Amino acid sequence: MKRYAKLYYLFAKNHIKVMLEYRIDFLIGMVSVALQQAAGVFFLAVVFGHIQELNGWSFYELLFIYGIAASGRAIHHIFFDNLWTLGWQYIKPGQLDRLLIRPINPFFHVCADRLQQDGFGQLLIGWIILGTAIPHLHLSWGLFEFMMLIVLVISSGVIFVAINLFFASLSFWMTDSMPVLWAVFNLSDFAKYPLTIYHKGLQFFLTWIIPYGFTAFLPAAWFLDREGYASVAIKAPVTAAAAMTVAYLFWLLGLKNYSSTGS
Amino acid sequence: MRKYWMFAKSSMQISAAYSAWYWASMATVILKLLIMFYFWHAVYQNQSSIGQLTLKEMLTYIIVAMFVQGFVSGAGNELAREIKQGQIAVELMRPYHYLFKMIFMDFGQKASFFIRETIPMGLIAFFVIQINPPGSPLQLIFFLASAALGLWIGTFFDMLIGILAFWTVNIWGVQVLKEGVITFFSGALIPITLFPAWLQSISFALPSQAMVFSPVAIYTGQITGMDIYWTIAVQAIWAAALYILLNVLWNQAIKKVTIFGG
Repeated sequence: MKRYAKLYYLFAKNHIKVMLEYRIDFLIGMVSVALQQAAGVFFLAVVFGHIQELNGWSFYELLFIYGIAASGRAIHHIFFDNLWTLGWQYIKPGQLDRLLIRPINPFFHVCADRLQQDGFGQLLIGWIILGTAIPHLHLSWGLFEFMMLIVLVISSGVIFVAINLFFASLSFWMTDSMPVLWAVFNLSDFAKYPLTIYHKGLQFFLTWIIPYGFTAFLPAAWFLDREGYASVAIKAPVTAAAAMTVAYLFWLLGLKNYSSTGS
Repeated sequence: MRKYWMFAKSSMQISAAYSAWYWASMATVILKLLIMFYFWHAVYQNQSSIGQLTLKEMLTYIIVAMFVQGFVSGAGNELAREIKQGQIAVELMRPYHYLFKMIFMDFGQKASFFIRETIPMGLIAFFVIQINPPGSPLQLIFFLASAALGLWIGTFFDMLIGILAFWTVNIWGVQVLKEGVITFFSGALIPITLFPAWLQSISFALPSQAMVFSPVAIYTGQITGMDIYWTIAVQAIWAAALYILLNVLWNQAIKKVTIFGG
């Protein structure tokens, strides 16, 4: 464990050195990701300029959902973004073979190969959105709530990672599963809005099949409506752990099945 | 001219070859339609109209806008990639105008995008969600003309951003920035007429509104009569202005290649 922490530090240090070479790009990346989030918030603000509430949820409640989604996604984006490239950067050109002969866990290696600095912009924006929404929500905040927020945001991040890991692992069989990964990732757009606006079947799907519901709406609902969503507090971390286990086992299965492309 | 058509044709064939991407984007578009459908139904839960638009009119606007938006960008990404990888140096020596090659390659992709995605999605939009057709054949013609201009404006704008790759390495960031700005200020998410007044005036001063809002508002009848001609004229001016700017920037950029490539 200590060895891996040290390794990650070395990988990250190298990456930051490269990053500082391109300072302007670093800034542009941060600003862009932030603005991308802002566009979504602007959109909601415009819509709420014309309505009072959306299916019973207020503007600031929707912002709160947004903020949790952005923070969770940022965790995935900063530390695990490289999973996207598993097919075309590792398996297709035969680079994975290089990792497999090293005495390091290949999953760790793939993730540590890149630290995605743009994610920090997203994290910052997520916090700004949360900070804007929270004072308008009339919630009481104690140490417990604060700890829960951290636990739920981390669970959200882990679920993002687990879903991506699972579908990235398909690359072991189909060389590059990027299209599938991308299509599935787009499902997370559903989670930006209260799940209650969707058809029951869709709600079930987004909670129990591909659990994006736990990345934003359900954790937010735990704060906003504790009567109805009390059990989320325990379900979210458990779902995150279960999803990650399934995804990691699937990755191991893929690795076992893997035969080099030979290039 | 013939060689440029060959580029368009070859890129159609290339994009037809990646069937996994085809199914993935098909699935994604269906998801988007679903999200829009449920989101706007929830918005209209307690009222019958927003900014004089009924639910059906709003869905018509949003979905047509989504279709139009699918065509407004593209060539810039490929351009940026070739600049970054240095292929541009070889390309510049070849016997064609590089920018035109890129534009035609892009049109080839858009043609296959139209056949493979816009048409099937259009069928879902009209028969399942039952969005409104254009009010009259004339309105349809104006819509198509305006959409074509929007496509040119979008293409030129996209390439302007792509050329920035000569100066900055992380073009991905600039592209995300561009997508964000265009998605919002083009009226692709929501009619610009619903913006608060100050945001409306900013939007109407930008070229992005001429990419999506103009054609779609003609389609839905939010722009009528003489205003249609006026709108199309403004679009033509934007297209011309961006084209000139693109050429100026391109000539500057090429000089940079000579310096580096020696």
